[in-house]
Amino acid sequence: MSDLVFLLPELVLAGTALVLILIARHVSRAQAVAVSVVVAAMAAIFSGWAFTPEAPEAPAAMTVVFGGTIAADGYARFFKVLFAATLALAALLSVKHVDTERVPPAEYYALLLLASTGMMLAASAADLLILYLGLELMILCAYVLVGITVNRPIANEAAIKYFLLGSFASALLLYGIALVYGVTGATDFAAIASAVSERNLTRHPFMLAGLALMAGGLAFKIAAVPFHAWAPDVYQGASAPVAAFLAAGSKAAGLAALVRVCLAAFAPEQRIWSEMLAGLAVLSMIVGSLLAISQTNMKRLLAYSSIAHVGYALLGLVTGTPDGASATITYAFIYSFMTLGAFGVVIALGERGEDLLAYRGLAATAPVTAALMFLFLLSLTGIPPTAGFVAKFAVILSAVRGGHVVLAVVAVMCSVVSAFFYLRVAVMMYMMEPQGAAPARVPGAVAAALAVAAFVTIVGGILPDTFTAWTVPPSLGKTPTEITRALTR
Amino acid sequence: MVTLVTTFPILTVMTFLPLAGAAVILLLGDRMARWFALTTTLVVCAVSVPLYLGFDKSSSALQFVETVPWIRSWNVVYGMGVDGISLPFIFLSTVISVLCVGASWTAVQVRVREFYAALLVAETAMIGLFASTNLFLFYVFWEVMLVPVFLLIGVWGGPSRIYASIKFLLFTLAGSVLMLVGLIALLEATGTLDFETLAKTRLSSDLQAWLFVAFTAAFGVKVPMFPVHTWLPDAHTEAPTAGSVILAGILLKMGGYGLLRIALPILPDAVQLFAKPMLVLSAIAIVYGAYVTLAQTDVKRLIAYSSISHMGFVTLGIFTLNRSGVEGAILQMINHGIVTGALFLCVGMIYERTHTRDIAEYGGLSTLAPVYSTFLAIFCLAAAGFPGLNSFVGEFLIISGAFKTWLWLGVAAVWGVALGTTYMLWLYYRVVMGDARPQFQGLRLDLNAREVATLVPLALLALVIGFYPELVLGFLRASVGQLLTAAGSGVMAGPL
Repeated sequence: MSDLVFLLPELVLAGTALVLILIARHVSRAQAVAVSVVVAAMAAIFSGWAFTPEAPEAPAAMTVVFGGTIAADGYARFFKVLFAATLALAALLSVKHVDTERVPPAEYYALLLLASTGMMLAASAADLLILYLGLELMILCAYVLVGITVNRPIANEAAIKYFLLGSFASALLLYGIALVYGVTGATDFAAIASAVSERNLTRHPFMLAGLALMAGGLAFKIAAVPFHAWAPDVYQGASAPVAAFLAAGSKAAGLAALVRVCLAAFAPEQRIWSEMLAGLAVLSMIVGSLLAISQTNMKRLLAYSSIAHVGYALLGLVTGTPDGASATITYAFIYSFMTLGAFGVVIALGERGEDLLAYRGLAATAPVTAALMFLFLLSLTGIPPTAGFVAKFAVILSAVRGGHVVLAVVAVMCSVVSAFFYLRVAVMMYMMEPQGAAPARVPGAVAAALAVAAFVTIVGGILPDTFTAWTVPPSLGKTPTEITRALTR
Repeated sequence: MVTLVTTFPILTVMTFLPLAGAAVILLLGDRMARWFALTTTLVVCAVSVPLYLGFDKSSSALQFVETVPWIRSWNVVYGMGVDGISLPFIFLSTVISVLCVGASWTAVQVRVREFYAALLVAETAMIGLFASTNLFLFYVFWEVMLVPVFLLIGVWGGPSRIYASIKFLLFTLAGSVLMLVGLIALLEATGTLDFETLAKTRLSSDLQAWLFVAFTAAFGVKVPMFPVHTWLPDAHTEAPTAGSVILAGILLKMGGYGLLRIALPILPDAVQLFAKPMLVLSAIAIVYGAYVTLAQTDVKRLIAYSSISHMGFVTLGIFTLNRSGVEGAILQMINHGIVTGALFLCVGMIYERTHTRDIAEYGGLSTLAPVYSTFLAIFCLAAAGFPGLNSFVGEFLIISGAFKTWLWLGVAAVWGVALGTTYMLWLYYRVVMGDARPQFQGLRLDLNAREVATLVPLALLALVIGFYPELVLGFLRASVGQLLTAAGSGVMAGPL
């Protein structure tokens, strides 16, 4: 019974979502937003309260509850707080969109809540099946959210694309899980790791196939090249707040799952998945940066940028060390806020926010909005003293520490390319003549969300120590060195 | 008095005062913005005075040190301090900032608040960079500097300002991201980024060589060294006057300062290894830059190209690795900041009136604008290395250092000086001498009191340093001695 405490955030979110659906006809948009934000705050507080803090330098043996299926560690807590924050910001950013596109508010916010529940579940899963359930709950809600504006054909098209490709990727993931279960007889992370090391299954062909299939399925969730093709179409087709929610939340959830699976379940196979992830990282950085150059739609540009950023984030995990994992989740955390901020500006500008050319002269007509966009763009480029620089520093440091200097050089070179397309927006905003009338007033809720994102982007850059205590790597049944030692013996 | 100086965080105040000023300016009106920016930059100058009075010239140690723990997870501290090498650059930064505000008084008429805010953010980055005592903080200010300069060029620049600003940004960013990898590799290898600790650590030769490549990529672009100099003519030409002055006066020096602060003390083996190629590139920059300068028809572009040649002297001096070369290089960086800054100011002042930068359209300014012609004469002669003016001393020291290293380097440098005299005096001849142009007859070409006040400090500095170079060299001596011991001087000798 006391185990339930550790699922309080998920229970609160899911319960509220169900209630919202039941009384949907009586809920106004304002009420739905308020409920979502309050519930997100409650979830964050519960996560902070339920999980006892542990010393980050010594991740103890995994604290598991519910018969070893749910991990109750600092890692899960970190992501639950992050997803609660993503949910709150996405809820605030959605107000305008729900009003103008006549989306049923209760259902929309219930889906946001349920998707966040899935993300939290995925981040705290200690069992492949729970992981799969969490990710599926998230992505099923995401399919609906993308297509929820029924009268926009482009949104429907995006939802169908997302659904078809996503189902295929989920099948890959499930097939991988099945193969791993077939070889090891376990779905529990710790049991898989010990089975592999004790029975020396590291090079078992089905094990490798299972690993590759699972990596493919998870790479789809985080939109890493070559599993990225859905992202630009879906981000463009979905309304901007949904795209923001996907870019920040679902990407972080995918990374959370990937990091934990790699470190906890597949620690003995570290050399293999490191190489696979290095390939994904390099491809994502290069393809994402190069394809973003020619985009003329802001949401597509941010989609390609998100592909490039997942490449940077993976640099930490490639090293296979807990330190590297910390760097990756630091990146996920910071990226969530800066991309929510950038999408937030797109939302604040309304319809014209999607067209790159509409940013011309924005600094003259809407100086504060332009300055915020400039801040988020600098952070996405990785220019100090913004949080994006701290994130980039952390992953490159761990890459160099792991001996992957070439990866580090590729990463910084891609960041120069990315500077070109990010700062082209700045050039339009600051160096060109204004087009058309000044944009409409920004709704208070959107302004509040932008302020939070800007705050994190600045404070995270100036005082990175404020959150490094939280970015603990996932706790493990055994440390990788112990497992390697067991293997060599 | 001394205790006051050591406890008051003078460097931090100097660094962040302009930033605070920038924040305030964004809330003010345009007219107030000018006065507020002037006040801020003057206050920074005033605050800096105890720095020069309280500085112990006989010591090579860092002075006015401030240390606060910053990012524990990476063992990074917030460290500020000055030694004899950084002090002159801080002085130059504060003075140039005041003059930039003065020079933009009437020239900038659009988005005035944003202009002065950008200028002040740039001042924060400049002072902060020269006062940093660790590589992390240095890098942060290095990158922060890009943003205001990018905006200064791109928003308030000439016709092809957007092209120039993007080119500037991409070139410098491409260099500096390699420095980021180098910085991280250094942190990984030694566990610290503190300049003094790093200088005491002996790194393996291989690592030093790789780090040298990474850091020189960043510094070489900023200096700029041949062959990565091509961003400079565009950026200098398109930038507004204040932007050109900051670029020529301070930004280029960041590269040379980086070589002195990081390459020489921390990577001495690699410096010995790469000194010869760097010397050759410097000599090419001097001679090639001078010939390209001769061919220019646009005043501003001509001065921009002359910077390439002049900065070639600086890198030449640094890589001779002997006392006169390095001291000359530092002095020459200060001189170049004063003289080229002043020349850009002169060009800007006359351009505001005539709206042309084509040399062919000028002539006979001596009768129409005698005060202007006098100032231009001083600065053209200074740039040409005329004895009694500041650049003569710097070039003399560098050339004597070059001859000690390698005869042909000295020859190339002397050749560069001869060409320099040619292009400066020829420029002066074409602009000032001859008959007055009829199209300028009705214009009030001569300088007003504000403009004279902007140029006088620089002219005085050129004269004073020319007659009494000890004023700058005195600060340098102890620190350069320390630097050359660290870099193991005297190993390079004899012909190639």
